[in-house]
This record gives sequence, structure tokens and C-alpha cells, in this order.
Amino acid sequence: MDPIEGLLYGLSLAFTYQNLLAAFAGAFAGTAIGVLPGFGPTAGLALLLPFTFAMGPSTGLIMMASMLYGAMYGGSTTAILMNMPGEAASVMTCIDGYKLTKKGRAGAVLFIVAAGSFIGGTISVVGVMLFVPTLAELAIIFGPGEFFALTAGGLLLLSRISAGTLAAGLLPMAIGLLLSTVGQEAVSGQYRFTFGVNDLSQGLELAVLAVGIYGIAEVMFVVESLASQGKPMRVRVREMLPTREEIRRSWAPIGRGTIVGFLFGLIPGPATTLSTFTAYRLEKAVSKYKDEIGEGAIEGVAAPETANNAAATSLMVPLLGLGIPFSSATALMLGAMMVHNVQPGPLLMTIHPEIFWAVIASMFVGNIMLVVINVPMIGLWVNMLRIPAYILLPTILMMAVIGSYSLRNSMFDVSLLLVLGILGYVLRKLDFQLAPLVVGVVLGPMIEKHFREGLYMSQGDLSVFWGSPIAVGIWSVVFIVVALGLMSRLWKRIFPAGEGEG
Amino acid sequence: MTFLANLSRRGLLSVIALLGLAHAAHAQTYPSREITLVIPFGIGGSTDIIGRQLAGDLAKVLGAKINVENKPGGTGTIGSTQVIQSRPDGYTIGFVANDALVLQPLLNPALVFKSPDDYQPIVKMGYRSDVLYVRADAPWKTYDDFVADAKRNPGKMRIAIPGVGTLGELTVQKLNKVAGVRMVTVPFSGGGAEATLAVLGGRVEASAGSVSVGAGHVAAGRLRALAVFQRGKHAVFPEAASIDDAHGDVSILAEFYLFGPKGLPKDVIDKLVAAATQVGRSEEWAAFAQKQDFTPDVKGPDATKQDLLKQGKDFAERLADK
Repeated sequence: MDPIEGLLYGLSLAFTYQNLLAAFAGAFAGTAIGVLPGFGPTAGLALLLPFTFAMGPSTGLIMMASMLYGAMYGGSTTAILMNMPGEAASVMTCIDGYKLTKKGRAGAVLFIVAAGSFIGGTISVVGVMLFVPTLAELAIIFGPGEFFALTAGGLLLLSRISAGTLAAGLLPMAIGLLLSTVGQEAVSGQYRFTFGVNDLSQGLELAVLAVGIYGIAEVMFVVESLASQGKPMRVRVREMLPTREEIRRSWAPIGRGTIVGFLFGLIPGPATTLSTFTAYRLEKAVSKYKDEIGEGAIEGVAAPETANNAAATSLMVPLLGLGIPFSSATALMLGAMMVHNVQPGPLLMTIHPEIFWAVIASMFVGNIMLVVINVPMIGLWVNMLRIPAYILLPTILMMAVIGSYSLRNSMFDVSLLLVLGILGYVLRKLDFQLAPLVVGVVLGPMIEKHFREGLYMSQGDLSVFWGSPIAVGIWSVVFIVVALGLMSRLWKRIFPAGEGEG
Repeated sequence: MTFLANLSRRGLLSVIALLGLAHAAHAQTYPSREITLVIPFGIGGSTDIIGRQLAGDLAKVLGAKINVENKPGGTGTIGSTQVIQSRPDGYTIGFVANDALVLQPLLNPALVFKSPDDYQPIVKMGYRSDVLYVRADAPWKTYDDFVADAKRNPGKMRIAIPGVGTLGELTVQKLNKVAGVRMVTVPFSGGGAEATLAVLGGRVEASAGSVSVGAGHVAAGRLRALAVFQRGKHAVFPEAASIDDAHGDVSILAEFYLFGPKGLPKDVIDKLVAAATQVGRSEEWAAFAQKQDFTPDVKGPDATKQDLLKQGKDFAERLADK
């Protein structure tokens, strides 16, 4: 079956009354789950899984894909409206999204995010459809050496992910790297920095960290501003729709976000989160409006939010092409297939074309449902901002506490949430950036794991980290970006006035 | 529209349950909310594949939802520690092999568990053996070619295994000794799926892994099953050489256990034992197990504990013998 024929076949499976209903229910539940902090798509899919057993394989998969996209989108809602990332993949969205909300552009931002998510997701589906067999190879050629270059090089570049001075980014990143070493070490299982506290042996839960340093700290900031101003939080709801200017400025970031997200979904690892970091950093480097990013620019939201949906889609490539799921969400979809006695893998496309094309079609349908459900709901979300602070703030706190407790039913995590909230507050008071801290926590363990496994593989020869063409390519990009950054600084120092021609 | 109404009502109930608000309702009828099954290895490895099947079958018997949570790292000890430290209410249980439960405590004295006295063995589900895979385009057509090349080039053969201090590491050490070669192990802490990617990508010469992770790639013509770590003919790869036939008792079987934290209430243990035993003896399980080359060997908690203690002794002897 060629791709077009296959897609039509898949769509004919998807466009039935039950399947559309399943897509609707999935996207709706996914959005609701994404909005709850700390309660991510994996938990939602797990809740959904038993329902799908009773359905046919294509109906079940369509419902799951819709939920996954819904959750990816829902996670950005609280990030934009309340500066509280629903999960690590929406941390970057907080920076510009929340500043735009303060400027009264919440409705417009949510609209752009829905559009970006749809475009990123849909283009990514086309990519998956056309290139599954070839792209699956990408996951194979990435080994410890290439991953080390990607993560360690990425760390270097991402230290400048937010505005402010170099120190304002580097110090929080170092704190993040330190925090990431707490708990059992991944390769050998040795305990580090647990101080005999059993709860620390599992390390810090990323969602608790993100909700703490962003959400809890934000609540403290709002309370503080209420005390000093003596009047309620000012919320303006102007137009719901983006201006022509905002739409025009969003096209390029959405395009770049799609490409970044698609590529990240192809390689193993926390693709959705890493793709948002990279897409944001890329905008800061190449956007025409790069000086505004960090201060509330639509580019800073459009790119990462497009990227995480594109990555959530291309994550399907390794699952379908190799039978190896690289995320817990795709593992659950794998589970749904195995219930119907379908083993994903290199032979899936030949043995079970109906399943393969149903999955592809389900992604199309899921993306459409995302827009159908969420665009009309934007008004509802934005109205949340009208809720008076004395109701909103305790509600946010309650949601954050329940969310962190529910991750592993642990009161320890709730205490941790509050401590991290204070840390986030203090760092922000001192003008440090928080995003690099999250980057450090995410990348730290990966860098370490790939470094150690690379050395095992090469039997101690360090050249494994720059010995392959891919690694050389990655390091070259890192080197060029760092060098350009240094040169432009030098340039500005020598010619403080002139900036124009380059 | 009863489907939707039903969906939203049940969905809401499960959300409340998941948030832990309903956990006071425990005791009278276990399980009254969903159970988390921790798989201490990465997605796509054999522990994961077998564990997910077990979760699905157990859920049907128990009439409760079971969420699978992968918690890889530290050769299964990170996830196992999470289970052992969880509240002993039967809502957090784990599924892992003997390398995490038996071998690791011998190698890593800092672990919170040292013997089956520190956790609750529930049911032993069965065992499987490893397969030695090479890339389909590798120069070694037979196991003899492979060993001959390893003899000529000490340190050349790198074998990917799913972590430091795994059975694969012990097995290769012993193989080196009895076959007079020096092959090195390359651990991938994410588990069997990562180790398989390494051999597929040609970054290592071979991998020692389960049928679950490799059979699909063998069928697709990307990998070759060169040898099996067991005695006699292999059920899935009859053409592969037997390493134990060639060198004597080298191999260690990977034995898989359902376990929980110490202090589980007796009624909970009884229910889980009954359910897992029913699953382990069912025809569906047998059919699944055959495909994965997994041999069911169902034992209750006391027999499982003896089994674990005996393996502890064997491994300790093997380590001392090094």
C-alpha cells in the first residue's frame, strides 16, 4: 500500500460514528488532565487503557492518541494563565506565556498555541507516514557518544536559554545539576546525597520541582503584590483572537518548532521536553524579534508548544518502525496493541497494515479534535483569570499539593514542593532565571548516564564522545553558536552604538 | 449515550481514587482502587514486556485497574527500592528478576534490601534464558567463529547487557574463564531495549538479551541469534548453538518475581497469590509465555522465598569463585 492509499484506508477506518466519538472523548479528557498540575498524559492514558480493551484496536488507539494531544495542549494552559507548568514540557511556555497573559493577551496566546499544536502535529503526521521505515534508523545510529554530545552540548547552549546575565543562567543551572544527582545513581545504583532519608533515594520528582519553583513561587509573588498594592490582581480580558501582527509573527516559529519537534521525537529520551527547550533556544538565536523573547513575545510560546506536539507525534516512529517505545505514553499504546495480539515492530506494516494506518489516521483525527474542542474553550479558560485572588490562589495551592501528593502518594513530596517553592521565590527575587534550573535537572542524569556508558563501551577511550560524524556535527553546531554569541558580545562592546549591518 | 455517561462517571471516580482521596476506603475489599505495578527496567525490555502482560491479566482476575510504571536504573534496584519503601497496602507491587532482588544486594551493600526478609515475595512467575545476538551482517556466521575471533583478539568482543551487575555480567565473566577468552560487557542501564539498539547500531559486537527484545529483529533480518545461554536446543532459535553444551554450566537463568513491601496484610497477600497463580497457570499465559520463550514456574510466597534464598547462596559462591 502506498502512503496515500494507506492514509485513505486509515481515514475510512477513522471516520465512523464511534471513532469520532472516541476521539472527542479522548481529547476532552486529555485537555482536562493536562490542566491539572503534576497529572500528566501518562496517568490519563493509564486510566483510559481499560476502556479501550472493550473497543476495537483502531477505536482504542484513536482515543489514546486524542488524549495524548489533548494533554499536551492542556498542560500549556496553566503555564500560560498562572505561570504553573502542568509538566516539564510546558516549562518554557511559562516564560513568555505568562508575561503575555499579564499584558492581557491570554486568549490570543491560547489560540496561537492551539493553532501551532495542530499545525505541528499534522505536519509531523505526514512525516511519520512518509518516512517510518527510513526514520526508524535514526534511533539506531544514536549511541552513548552521540547522546553525550547532544545532551552535554545542549547544556552549554541552553545555559543562555533565558534573558539576563550569564551568571543569572549559569548558577541556577548548576543548582539544577546538583539537584539531579540526588538519589540512586542510574548506572550502578549507588546512593548519593540522600543523607539517610529514604524518600530521597528515588531522587526529586520533576513535576514536583516544576510546580514548586514556578507555581508555588508565583503564588507567593502574587500575594506579595496584593499586599503592596492593596488591590486585587488586575486581569484584563481584551480580544480573544490574536491580532494580525501576532499571527504574522507566529508563522516562522511554528514552522521551526515543527521541524525541531519532529526530529526530537525520532530519538530516544524525553523528547517532548527536550524539544521545547531546543525550540525556545532556537527562537532566541534566529528570530527577528529575539530581543523581545523572554519579555512576553508570541514566538517564545508558539515555537515550544508546536514542538512538543510535533514530538508527541513523531514519537510514534520508533514505536511503529522498531517496536521500541521511547516514552511511557507510547508504551501504553503498545499495550493497547498487544491486547489485540498485535506486536509492533519492523514487520507491523506488512503483517498488520490496518493497525498501522489506523494509528496514522488516529493522529490526524486527534489533531483535528484538539482544535474542535479547545478553540471554543479558550473563552472559558481566560475567564478563570477573573476569579478573585482569594479564591484562585488557594485553589492553585490545593491543586499543586494534590498533584504532587498523587505522583507517589507521598507527603514528603508535598514538603519538597513547599521548599522548592521557597527556592524558586528566592532565586527570582535575586533576578536568577528558573528555566536553566529545570534544564539542569532534566539533562544532568542523561549526560552522566551516556558519559559512563560511553566509557564502558570504548573501554575508557574518551574519543568515543567526538569520534562519530553525528557527534562531530553536534559539537560543530555548539561551537559555532557559542563562538557567534561571544563575537556578537565583543562586537557590541567595541561598537556600543552601531549594530545594524553584519 | 450510556457509553459516554458511563465513561465520565467512572473516569471521575478513578481520578478521585488516584488522587488518594479514597484510600481510607481500603481493607474491606482489596482491591478497591487501582494498583501500581512497578517495572524496574526500561520500556521494551523483557521485564517490561512480561510485566505488562502480567499486569493486564492480573487486572482481569482482580477486577481492578493496574497501572504499569517503568522506573529503570541501577539494574532494577531503583524501582525495587521504590516498591519496598512504599506503603504496604497492596496498591504498589513490583515485578522484577533475580538480578535486582538477589544479585544486586550482594554487590551493593548500601541497598535497603538484603534478603527476602526485607520484602514480601508474592509469586514466582517463571524464568527465561538469554540469547547472544549479533548483527545479521556480522562476519561471524556461527558461535564457533565468534569464540575463535574472541580468542585471537582479547578485549575486542563487546557484549551489550542491560546494566551493571546483571546476570549477563556474571555469565560473561564465567564464560571468559572457562573458554579462555576476554570479552567485555557494556552495560546499558535502560535495559534490554537499549542494549539491543547498541548491537543494531553496530556500536558493540554482540548483545546478550531476551527473546522478547530480539526475536522481532531476527525475523526482520537485522539480527542473528548466534547462541543461547542454556543447555540443549532452543525452542525459538533451534539453529543457535548452546553455550552450556559447549562450555559446561555457564549460564544463569533470569527468574521473575512478583513482590511487594514487607508488612502486606494477609488478605492482600492471599488475594495477590491466588490471582497471580491463576494467571500463571492459565492457557493464555502459557501461549504468551511460549512466544516470549518464558517458562512458567509458578510458586507461592514461601516456596518463592526459599527459591530466592537458594539463589542468594549460589550467587555468593559464584562471586567468591571469581
